[in-house]
Formats: sequence, C-alpha cells, structure tokens
Amino acid sequence: MSDEEFPLLSELKKGPWPSFVKEIEKTAEHKPEMKDLLKQLERSYEDKITYWKHGGIVSVKGYGGGVIGRYSFLAKECPGVAEFHTMRVNQPAGYFYTTEALRKICDIWEEYGSGLTNMHGSTGDIILLGTTTHNLQPCFNELAKAGFDLGGSGSALRTPNACVGPARCEFACIDTLELCYDLTMSYQDELHRPMWPYKFKFKISGCPNDCVASKARADFSIIGTWKDSIKIDQEEVKKYAEQGVDIKARVVNNCPTKCMEWDEEKKELRIDDSNCVRCMHCINVLPKALRPGDERGAIILMGGKAPILEGPVMSWVVVPFIKVEPPFEEIKELAENVFEFWDENGKFRERLSELIERVGMMRFLEAVGIEPDPRQIKEPRTNPFYFWKEEDLKPRTDPWEIWRKAEKEM
Amino acid sequence: MSEFDEETKQKVLEKLATKPWSTRDLAKVLQMKKKDVDKICKELIAEGRAAYWSSGSTTYVTTKEKLEEMEEKRR
Repeated sequence: MSDEEFPLLSELKKGPWPSFVKEIEKTAEHKPEMKDLLKQLERSYEDKITYWKHGGIVSVKGYGGGVIGRYSFLAKECPGVAEFHTMRVNQPAGYFYTTEALRKICDIWEEYGSGLTNMHGSTGDIILLGTTTHNLQPCFNELAKAGFDLGGSGSALRTPNACVGPARCEFACIDTLELCYDLTMSYQDELHRPMWPYKFKFKISGCPNDCVASKARADFSIIGTWKDSIKIDQEEVKKYAEQGVDIKARVVNNCPTKCMEWDEEKKELRIDDSNCVRCMHCINVLPKALRPGDERGAIILMGGKAPILEGPVMSWVVVPFIKVEPPFEEIKELAENVFEFWDENGKFRERLSELIERVGMMRFLEAVGIEPDPRQIKEPRTNPFYFWKEEDLKPRTDPWEIWRKAEKEM
Repeated sequence: MSEFDEETKQKVLEKLATKPWSTRDLAKVLQMKKKDVDKICKELIAEGRAAYWSSGSTTYVTTKEKLEEMEEKRR
C-alpha cells in the first residue's frame, strides 16, 4: 500500500515498535479485501468517527454467545469489510498453548476469516477479528474439531479467566487454573446461552498482586490470600540489606498499614501480621526473604466493573476468607445464589454492583446467605475520629447524677 | 428422578409451544419461581422435548417443533 494513499495510517507505521497498520498491510498482500479495512480506517481518522455499526445479530447453531456481529456503514465503498464479525474463542486457563494448537487456530482463521487476531481480549478470550456471516458456522465447526470452543459474549457468563497461578508463579496461594477450568465446565449453559440481565465475569488471581486485575473488572473476583503470618527468612533479609537494598525506605516506609519495623543494628525485619492487609508490597520487594503464609485460601470480592451505566466500580469484599479445594462446592453454591438473586432482581443491563448499590449490601448478603462481617467495608476508613479505646465503650455517667450531686453540695 | 410432576412440566411445555420464551418471562406468566422454570426447561431439553433457540443476542427456550419453524423463517 502506498503511503500517499493512506497518509494518516502511514503515520502509525513510523518508529521502531510494532504497528497494527503494518500487520494489516501484510495480511492484505494475500487477502486483498483487507485493503478495504485500511480504506475504512483511513476514512475514520479523516472524519474522526468510527464507521463500524454497533452489534448485530449473528450466532452459530445452538450458541447465543461467542460471536460479535460487526457491520460497516461503508459497505458499498469498502465491500471487503461489509461484514466483519468477531469470534471469541475460549482460551485455556492461564493461556497455555502448544505451538501446534496456535498454528491450528491460525490455519482455521486464515481459511475462514481475515487472518487478523488479537491475543487476548480483555476478558481473556482469543479474539479472531473479521469474518462473514456465511463463514461463521464452518469456522466454528473446524474450531470445535480442533478442540476449541467459543467463549462468552452478550448477556451471559463471560469466559472465566485466571492468572498463570501455580504453573508458573511462586506466589500463587490457590490453584487458579483448576478452579477456572472447573467453573468453565460447570457453567457451560450460562456461558453459551445468554439469559441474564447483563454480562457476568469470574476472574481468578492466585495472590493479592491480582495480575488479572479481577477486582477492577470482575463481578465475582476470587483472589488467593493467606490467613496466618508472612513467612520470614531473616538470613535472606540480611543478604538483601548487605546487597544494598534500603529496607527501611523501600519496604517498611511503603507498608500501607505501617505494620513493619526494621532493626538496623540486628538487621532484622519484624511484622505485626494482625495489621497486615496482604498488599504483597514487601513480598514483591524481598521475594527470597518473605513468602505468603501456609494457611491459604481466597478472598471473594464482588461488583467490579468498567464503565457503561454507573461508571467504573471497584469490587467489594464479600467473603473475607474461603478454602479453595476441589470440587469447589462452597464457591459454586455462593456463585449460584448470586446468579439467582441478580437474575431475579436485576434490571436490563444492570451489573451486579449496580444491583447491590440499588438494593443495599444488607439485603444482598441476606439473599445470598452470607453473615455480615466488619471486613465487608466498601471503602477504607478515612475519618480519624472513629478511633476508640476500650474504656470509651464503658457506659457514660448520667449528667443528671452530676448535676444533682452538685445541687446537694451547694 | 425429577422433582417436578409431569403435570407441571406439561404446563411449561404448552407455553413453550407457542413461541420462544426467555425463562424469566415464562416464570412471570406461569407465576412460578424462575429457578424452578429453569430446572424444568433444562429437564425438558435433556429429554429432547424442548430446545434452546438463539436470536443471536439472547437465548430462548422453545419446543423442538417451534425451533424448526423459527430456523425455517431465518433461512
């Protein structure tokens, strides 16, 4: 493609970094219709408006989710992208593939789609960008033969997603991969057949570093944590100090609850675990010296979401600690109670967080069968006047007693 | 073993024969709990007497005969 033909897009090819324009150009060399994609994009940059229509009704037989209809407003001018549907393919938990599997997916997409992919979408799915309505069913059939299934879209359970967990990470407190696989298999109907008020997302992180950003994006976040104390290897702490790590400045002073002390003389780190909020900062800075505790499980937060109706919402702690062991019955029972309450009471396009805001956390907890707990706070406390001491709780003297006593004395 | 009697299942099936239904609407019309309607629909689907039908954006439940009729219209 000449830069004169697409002057604005050519700007996006400059520089040493990868460019999506270059990738589309390469695809257009053997798929001429992709030139229409460049044409439409150039026009969008000129006019500062998208020419994709929103949504549309397309699906494969028996599945309501997994295909996102995309049509062009410039169908006559750019016929190659008149229909440019996206297929969402359910990724394996933790995104582990063999090169053979990836080649297979790419071969299928070369045959039935544009050849452009997006690894991965924000839900975690493999995104196959651009095919026609006619090619949807044969593409799905080929993917199914290769052992791949469509993910979720629309008002359904979206493809559950997990971090790499114990397969590659030393901090994983739970088996994120097994739980993700189990939830995916348990809720196939909910994933493929949109019947809810709106979308619902499970995201699973192995530790509070939360690499899948579940608490900002998922309606039901499961985050690995521990109940007991952080494990300290004081010898390793000393080594870090000797190697020049300023433990006071980089670790102790950055602790959000100030629950750590550094003894410069003894080169010893002390942690008051009762005040630790499991932020992982100290463990991230001193990974050889500090480790999550042994009594491991997960914290469940609910109601995270990106904008649309009421703006972005961070999740809310609902279950401070839960054991995460197969067959995960406790987690699934809770999830099903949440599905039921939300499905019965949620308005059209109302995410879980908006429903909780509308009906109140108390009613929500009651409906899903969870006891209220002080740790289910919506936001950290910011008002210092809430501090109290034990003696503050003793009954106060009746002022009338003081006044009567004073009267008698006079 | 089903927890619902055949009479109740038949009542649901009769409604499903009229058009594709979302189980939420079906529960309202039949004045039943949505959870029960969901369970009955799943049983009927497993028995081959009902089927899912997708409009593309939403999934509905209907009878096998109605499903064929809907697919014919789409063609």
